[in-house]
Amino acid sequence: MKKYLIASALLIIFLAVFIPLASSDPDGLEKVAETLGVEEQETVWRGLMPDYTVATVENPYLSTLLAGVFGTLTVLAVALLFGKTIRQKKTTP
Amino acid sequence: MLLKVILAIDMHIPDGFLEPVTAATMFVVSIAFLVWSWKKVQASYSRSFTAILAISSAFVFAAQMINFPIAFGTSGHLVGGTFLAVLLGPYAGILSMTIVLLMQALFFADGGITTFGANVFNMAVIGGLSFFIVKFLTHNSPTNRRFTFSVFIAAWLSVVLSALSCALQIGISPVFVQAGGIAVTVPSMLMYHMIIGVIEATITVTLLTAIQRLQPTALGGLTLLKVKVKQ
Repeated sequence: MKKYLIASALLIIFLAVFIPLASSDPDGLEKVAETLGVEEQETVWRGLMPDYTVATVENPYLSTLLAGVFGTLTVLAVALLFGKTIRQKKTTP
Repeated sequence: MLLKVILAIDMHIPDGFLEPVTAATMFVVSIAFLVWSWKKVQASYSRSFTAILAISSAFVFAAQMINFPIAFGTSGHLVGGTFLAVLLGPYAGILSMTIVLLMQALFFADGGITTFGANVFNMAVIGGLSFFIVKFLTHNSPTNRRFTFSVFIAAWLSVVLSALSCALQIGISPVFVQAGGIAVTVPSMLMYHMIIGVIEATITVTLLTAIQRLQPTALGGLTLLKVKVKQ
């Protein structure tokens, strides 16, 4: 349990430090689509936090940080659950 | 409206960018790889592996949020496919990246739902399989320098091949055909990702050599590689 808390804390610090430094230029695929004049298509699902922002938080830094922390911890939890499905073996491989 | 540009992530194909046939085909292909990986993980991994799996998956999610600027007013970020593949081995690497992609699609609409199969193939499957490039290149001479070189090449290739795969998939969809199709999407995607790949490779090498120095036993993929890296 302790290692997960330490890892989570380090990842939150990582996001807090790097989010303000992140570039908002279009990425590879977006740039290509933009250059070709291909427009964004109708989406099937908009997500709970589109563009990594929490709608109710106005400060853009906090909004993205909250979304990032939520996503990071969710991935941690889901991967943990997946790990639990691995059967304990008598001998280690 | 042109693409909105906020902390978004390259190569995650949004809904509507693929023809339904392409999207469906990529679902079938990706599911086949996921079943294969799942079986391999259940057969050959121990449960003690859970911690490194969970923490590295979470790290890749966080790292993918951070876009760094590259040339021509565009940006890129770590994909992390080769990082996960060397750390976790190809099978758990594929599943780990799929978890990251699934959470991005579900919660942040980063990458579409209908295009999820294609995104899993482009990033999780190609990233995971880049393990075998490392394995091939390190085969005979597992020195430190050889390992670094192999990881660099594998990481660069994984990004470039993902971009190529993505360019082919979107290039045949009607949305892009009117703009020139494959003849335009392939060269432009390759151009950006050959640069993004160098950054990917540099970060991947830096991370893996640091982990290897601090905690040599943590590199589970290396055990699978049967590589003993000499200091």
